[in-house]
Amino acid sequence: MAGMRTVAAATWMVFTLGLMCLVRPGFAQQADSTGQRPDTSLSAEALKKLSIEQLMNLQVTSVSKRPERLSQTASAIQVITQEDIRRSGASSLAEALRLAANLQVAQIDSRQWAISARGFNGTTANKLLVLIDGRTVYTPLFSGVFWDVQEVPLQDIDRIEVISGPGATLWGANAVNGVINVITKDAKDTQGLLLSGGGGTEQHGFGTVRYGAPLGSNVRARIYGRGFDRDATALPGGQDAADDWHLEQGGFRMDWDASSASRVTLQGDLYDGRIAQDSGGDIGVSGGHVVAKWSRTLSERSSLAAHLYYDRTHRDIPGVFGEDLDTYDVDLQHSARLGARHDVVWGLGYRNINDRTVIGADSTVAFLPTQVAREWFTGFVQDEIALVPNRVHVTVGTKVEHNDYTGFEIQPSGRVSWRPGSSGTLWMAVSRALRTPSRIDRELFAPAKPPYFLAGGPDFHSEEELAYELGYRYQRGTLGLSVATFYSRYHGLRSVEQVNPPAPVPLVIANGQAGESYGAEVTAEYWLTNRWRVHAGYTELRVHVWPNPGSTDMSRGSGESQVPDRQFLLQSWVDLPAHLGLAAWFRAIDDINNQLVPAYAELNATLTWRPTSHLDLSLVGQNLLHGQHREFGASSSPTRRDIQRGVYGAVAWHF
Amino acid sequence: MALLRVTTALLLVCAARLGAQTGKASEAQVKAVFLFNFAQFVDWPADAVPDSQAPLVIGILGGDPFGDLLDATVRGEHRGARPFVVHRYQRLEDITRCDILFISRSVADQPDEVLTRLKNRPILTVSDADQFAERGGMIRFVTDRSRIRLQINQEAAEAAHLTISSKLLRVAEVVTPTGR
Repeated sequence: MAGMRTVAAATWMVFTLGLMCLVRPGFAQQADSTGQRPDTSLSAEALKKLSIEQLMNLQVTSVSKRPERLSQTASAIQVITQEDIRRSGASSLAEALRLAANLQVAQIDSRQWAISARGFNGTTANKLLVLIDGRTVYTPLFSGVFWDVQEVPLQDIDRIEVISGPGATLWGANAVNGVINVITKDAKDTQGLLLSGGGGTEQHGFGTVRYGAPLGSNVRARIYGRGFDRDATALPGGQDAADDWHLEQGGFRMDWDASSASRVTLQGDLYDGRIAQDSGGDIGVSGGHVVAKWSRTLSERSSLAAHLYYDRTHRDIPGVFGEDLDTYDVDLQHSARLGARHDVVWGLGYRNINDRTVIGADSTVAFLPTQVAREWFTGFVQDEIALVPNRVHVTVGTKVEHNDYTGFEIQPSGRVSWRPGSSGTLWMAVSRALRTPSRIDRELFAPAKPPYFLAGGPDFHSEEELAYELGYRYQRGTLGLSVATFYSRYHGLRSVEQVNPPAPVPLVIANGQAGESYGAEVTAEYWLTNRWRVHAGYTELRVHVWPNPGSTDMSRGSGESQVPDRQFLLQSWVDLPAHLGLAAWFRAIDDINNQLVPAYAELNATLTWRPTSHLDLSLVGQNLLHGQHREFGASSSPTRRDIQRGVYGAVAWHF
Repeated sequence: MALLRVTTALLLVCAARLGAQTGKASEAQVKAVFLFNFAQFVDWPADAVPDSQAPLVIGILGGDPFGDLLDATVRGEHRGARPFVVHRYQRLEDITRCDILFISRSVADQPDEVLTRLKNRPILTVSDADQFAERGGMIRFVTDRSRIRLQINQEAAEAAHLTISSKLLRVAEVVTPTGR
């Protein structure tokens, strides 16, 4: 198994390296003649009028990426920075996502998380697209994410962009209610040796070794290895739930500035973990991926980027099912400024998956056929039109996708942004987004052998959303504010129908429900002093789901959306004298009424000490207010787990 | 929801009345403007300036990441009576008189030799190379989360008898040499 993986990864690396060598002479030659002039909407004259502080606060871009200040973005985007993560004491990517007030994040047990935006959360939440350095991490089994294998080393993350609301036009299917974009640091920002580690009550032990060095004058690389051992969660009565787990992971990243206009990035990771279960034997997870990216500024007005990756993942859940998945993906994107007013981005993509599920003697579910190969072809085009340059911009675009289940699908959107002054942006958007079928909708059968009481729906089609959004962002000096309001209609939501009513079984999956959601996401960030920052977020959310005429599904969406009506987040950090730092992070989450999960409030706190710039010591308290609390899962469910208070200490040494 | 609408409307009114420069720019462009600005925040020793109208020279050593951006930035500009000029150098030996020297990454990755030979000359050395300030350079551009920060090695500047204004030091990270 491990051997196969290594061989596949090695083959892929040789292939991509070969490709890089082939393309190099061409672009190296051109780069020097064109120089580096990405589109520059602020002239040298305008920049010279700025103060040093303003220059330092200006968002810049190097190659091909179109820079945008957050305050001008015409969508409900929130950014979690490396500093936010470091100060929060978060111990996993999923936990760090709690820092985005526009996400609903609930920890289910020691390894599973329910994460969504704008409702429709669940253990198999399927309306959120998650990308790590451009690699889509959802599983085609249910269009959701296995969070236990998305353990990006937190100190390597540069930022996490969290966009709530449809992002389907640019990002594609599944970006129905949000996109999470995890971006890791450039290798040049992780040079030298880093040793870090620690342990505590819930985080039993963890350690990372990372080393970064130049590999020639324009190439920087890093390599890392890490592992952790996490404690089990608790049963409602306080007993140990026996779901403790450990994972080992290693990887590399290499960035090559082939010229002032071209860049190449090659990165990869391998992981292997075991998660205990209270019965049936350990869950085994393993996998890896290799990503190659190339971008090039073609001229002052246009740039090109290509991206390819291979991902392999293996999961064996004894007593439930097993899966091996291979994903191949290639994307090409070109952006160009046409005339004075048009910024056009278009792209093409192809993805191929090969998914092999295993039905064991004791499996409770089956995906039939057990092995499938599927292909997706995508194309998108988007034009940002400066109706009144720097004041009123209109963006129109559409994604066209072809999938093996439903053929061609179209996901258009239109956005208008208006900047009445220099500090704020008012924006509105109308989008159509689709959640295309995944294996669970069409190919799931339970139990694993006939007679089935539940079967996938052979006619299951895409779930459709029409979303209307209105928002405002403001950034001036030390204050940042954002308000996003939304109303969405859903058609063809997943339902479970009785085949021969009134007989309760068998059941079949169909598109028998419709729904709506509306709400508002408000965030504010304020620097009280140079050393004290406060960040607050509040989300109000309503989701209503109802059966279509003729549907026998009377769940009113309790199987599709399990979210609190409101949540509040407050994060504060302050630098104290003597190189000390203190951060507190409070969250109050309303009840999930269709699961009878009570409302709760929790607090995390972190004390850090940096005696020198080479050494960081921290003491972190997680979920301090209660000995144990529940975040997700019906109270009657046998899989309900409580999350316990935890304390850990950590040391990081850079040199 | 009503409260939200009122808040939004209020914010809009406030925002419409405010005005300042914001926008976006390429990394090279912003660095070029920084180089130009440094001339306002640094004082050179009197004996380094031949006369009050001598050109203020911004040099680029090694590969030029700016194209014509730096030239466009300083075109027609003066510091007092001194006009700005941009010179490009392939080799260290080519540098005759220079006030601000941007050392390109290709050269600055091995900065020890360059910096040793420039040591104590009244030239403000700037680069975006790793560890540049720790290894004896004066100002390093650090691109961090798409923003440019400055690291300043004040000891190196003082050794060359350059005075860096506290206005610049205040917004920069002051680093000390590692003694390498």
